[in-house]
Amino acid sequence: MKSHLLPSLVFLLLLPFLAKAADDAAQTRLKAAVDEVVGIAKNAKDRTQLINDEKAPLAKILNFQIMTRRAIGPGWRQFTAAQQTEAVNLFTTLILRTYTAKFTPGVTPSVIFKSTATPEPGREEISTLSDYKGSNYDVIYRMEQNQGQWEITDVVIEGVSLVANYRAQFDGQFKQGGVDAVLKALQKSVAETK
Amino acid sequence: MKYSKLELSVGIFVLLGISAIAYLTIKLGTGSIIGGDTYQIEARFNNAGGLHPGSNVLLSGVTVGRVEAVRMEPTDYTAIVTLRLRSALRLPTDSMASIKTTGLIGDKFVALSPGADDKYFTPGSRITLTESAVDLESLIGKMAFGSVDKQKDNQEKDAKSNP
Repeated sequence: MKSHLLPSLVFLLLLPFLAKAADDAAQTRLKAAVDEVVGIAKNAKDRTQLINDEKAPLAKILNFQIMTRRAIGPGWRQFTAAQQTEAVNLFTTLILRTYTAKFTPGVTPSVIFKSTATPEPGREEISTLSDYKGSNYDVIYRMEQNQGQWEITDVVIEGVSLVANYRAQFDGQFKQGGVDAVLKALQKSVAETK
Repeated sequence: MKYSKLELSVGIFVLLGISAIAYLTIKLGTGSIIGGDTYQIEARFNNAGGLHPGSNVLLSGVTVGRVEAVRMEPTDYTAIVTLRLRSALRLPTDSMASIKTTGLIGDKFVALSPGADDKYFTPGSRITLTESAVDLESLIGKMAFGSVDKQKDNQEKDAKSNP
């Protein structure tokens, strides 16, 4: 009995420190990604260079596989493997183009890290205050640990979740016209962001 | 003697009737009656926005449950909302819960949006992918008045252009 009790007690004592370490790891990774993105925006000479240069660091920190699956919702199960790959590629392009279009070369946002919450093990919510072009935005980054790496799986801006926002639209498309309707909607959105 | 027996029966009948009305009034008032088997799950929100027990839980516009309780988590000051849902409803673990309002100033309700995971929430689980109640006043305020920094920036620009 004693042999089981001791490791359990040690684990319980270490639990707060393990949670704190997870908080730090997620926040450190997010801070590094934010610094990289801000640095590129600061040094970019024109919009085309800015958009091209921002894609790599954003694709590194954002988990588009999870984001696409969650954005499409229950209809995702009806997609074939090839359709899922096409949806992920289209959604990735859509998010990267939409996100990078918000940046202006030479103008740098300032990001203040406010707090980190752990809603469940392996998932962190990092609250920030972003100041860009004189406006403040409350942004929460939802991060999850996948194969030891912390990645962003959703962004909540002023209380509105990116994933929930797209899910409401794609789910409606799926109910009306199935998989084809979702893919067509994605293709149309991507074409509009060119 | 005969009259008193009859009066006693009527009295008991009236008392039972009043008790039934009182029970139904309380239950319907809090909205805690939903038919069939049910189960409880929780949802964690940063801001419950005045959501109260008895509020509807909707999925695709259909009432699938009720809010049973709203409490604050003392460790991180988040709002934990207990939902009672119909047993027939199976929610994937990446389902989302959002606090919405009927119209601009109507009642608050919880809207569920099912995800695509292969695993499902079990009774007692907690939904952590949530959207809190949107603070309309603060959003309108930001749009109408802008931020303090913006005003400061504009003042600086004015000072530079008019030295």
